[in-house]
Amino acid sequence: MSSKEYKEDQLINYFLKGELRVINSSLPRRRKTLEELLKEEYPYVLTRDGGAHMFRRSELELAKELLQEKASQLLLPIYLELRPDLSETVAVVDDPIAIELISKLVKIERAKPLYLYPIHLSELRRRASTLFLYLISPKTLTSR
Amino acid sequence: MSQETLKVRPTKIELIRLKSRIKVAKRLHKVLKDRLIILSQELISLIREGMSLRSEIHSKITRCEELLADSLMLTSPLIVKSFSRARGEETEVVIGTRVVAGVKVPVTEVSRRERSYDPSIYPLTLIEAGKCYDEVMKDVLRLAEIEESILLIGREVSKVRRRVNALENILIPRIEATIKVLTMKFEEREREDKTRMKKVKQMLEKRRR
Repeated sequence: MSSKEYKEDQLINYFLKGELRVINSSLPRRRKTLEELLKEEYPYVLTRDGGAHMFRRSELELAKELLQEKASQLLLPIYLELRPDLSETVAVVDDPIAIELISKLVKIERAKPLYLYPIHLSELRRRASTLFLYLISPKTLTSR
Repeated sequence: MSQETLKVRPTKIELIRLKSRIKVAKRLHKVLKDRLIILSQELISLIREGMSLRSEIHSKITRCEELLADSLMLTSPLIVKSFSRARGEETEVVIGTRVVAGVKVPVTEVSRRERSYDPSIYPLTLIEAGKCYDEVMKDVLRLAEIEESILLIGREVSKVRRRVNALENILIPRIEATIKVLTMKFEEREREDKTRMKKVKQMLEKRRR
């Protein structure tokens, strides 16, 4: 293998890892419950890269209203897992409480796991843009 | 589409290596494309929201100006000034960030502590005008948030699109073309071997006879 090809191989791997790092570094260090966040003056979570992800109080209140007694169990932000191993752009949600909330927000039937297509994602973004975060599934690395 | 091939030695090991390289390249392409779709959707919805908010702000400002003009007929500009200063102190603006597929964009939250005003000092139209300007301020802050988000996301979209295009139009077709050339070479070699073997077999049979 020539050094040029070796560099090309390294570059592809570097970019793949970089992309995963870019998306996943903004994941929170610790997720908080909806109840905890509503008690805070400025609801936010700290991210792994040292930043902060802020929530809109109006969206938190909307989530509380939709979930009612289950609201205290909801962990925020909700993870929308992008699955590059699937042929279409699709985000997957596994958490049952999050599934309930999203199905009410987007008005789709509940399923576990819940598959969200771009049309659902745009509706979700319109109604609650700060409640969720995207992450790339680690399966993209392990299924090599 | 580029039909260039990579300069590699025509060996089986090289073919295996190229096949694994294309797998990783396609995976990276899918990851980037997913991110591009999400960011583009966000960008489009922000642009739409920004445009409608801008026209909304224009119409609201016209209404507020009318209310202010009405109130100036009932009170002095000095009272209007003191009223606006008092209202400004009651407003709190929080600026934070949210993350959209790896891009940090601003989030603003405006809150107000409402209090009652003496109608004998401040006319009702002035209070109405104050409320109207509060709405305008809220919308202007939201517009600032949207426009900054558009800039940040737009920059990221162009960066991601460049990478997607490089993979889609240069790297992946080049690896695919090389794999095709190598496979064809190996097939040809196999066919040559088969014909050679046949010939050898025929010659051996002739000799035996």
